[in-house]
Amino acid sequence: MLESFALSIVDGSLNRWIVETYWLWPVLEIVHFVGLSLLLGGLIIIDLRLAGLFRSMRPTATHKLVPLVLIGFGLNLVTGILFFYGDPLRYSVNIGFQIKMVLVVLAGLNTLFYYRKIKPVMHSWGTNADTPPVAKIVAITSLSAWGGVLLFGRLIPYVGTG
Amino acid sequence: MFAWLESTQIAQWVGLSLWGYPMLLSMHVIGLAIVVGLFSMRDLRLLGVVGGLEPTAYLSLNKLAWTGFTINAISGCFLFTSQAMTFISSIPFLLKISCVVAGMLLAVVIQGKLQRELAEADYGQPLGNSMKLLALGSLCVWIGAIVAGRLTAYL
Repeated sequence: MLESFALSIVDGSLNRWIVETYWLWPVLEIVHFVGLSLLLGGLIIIDLRLAGLFRSMRPTATHKLVPLVLIGFGLNLVTGILFFYGDPLRYSVNIGFQIKMVLVVLAGLNTLFYYRKIKPVMHSWGTNADTPPVAKIVAITSLSAWGGVLLFGRLIPYVGTG
Repeated sequence: MFAWLESTQIAQWVGLSLWGYPMLLSMHVIGLAIVVGLFSMRDLRLLGVVGGLEPTAYLSLNKLAWTGFTINAISGCFLFTSQAMTFISSIPFLLKISCVVAGMLLAVVIQGKLQRELAEADYGQPLGNSMKLLALGSLCVWIGAIVAGRLTAYL
């Protein structure tokens, strides 16, 4: 499926523009790195408090960082799609890229669970209180998934086809 | 000296082993996420871009940020050995290192200021302009470090 989609966008106008604009790729990479800093920076704080660490921070106060996390994710979604359009045949068959995308989806589902089950009860936790086991699992899942996204993302140039 | 560094066993391992270079790069991006991530959250809070946590709450995250920095200092030194001659004469690389040093120095200054803030009697007053200037400077040098770091691979 991914491969046939990749074949369909090769030599399209967006693909040609990205390939032919020599300065674009490094600029996209820079934005992608700034985006990952915002995304991970916010999530590290939110998730570590959710895991029961750094208890002097009020859990609902850490949630105020979510807009920065979303801006980071948005930047990386847009630059990520442009990377894919710029080199579709390489990404679509790359095992590092495939694992990275699975982990992004897993992290997304974990976030949905956070919004449905954790966020609504967060205000009832005390400022210095420990967190329930389910919150710890959500936090560990989130940090592991995003850590994996960084790991496999960085391995894309070095691993072969799936 | 840098030629000698490139000829060491460690440099050979980093450059030639199958997993050495990619694994060090992965460590380096995880460290980057911790350092730049935490410091940029702190800076954006000090600048008033986001609310939520008290500015002094970021004091407790300092150790973690320094752990990230340590991961990157170590992985960075290993990565450096494999192409020491190229890196040491690369303008983007030297700019990146300058930005990182400036960012860590600013972190020390901001940490000291936040600690004094916490100890003061009128704790809770709005942040002064000097704190905001430091935060803006910090944000700029970390973005600069990312820009120069990426350009190291191209120029």
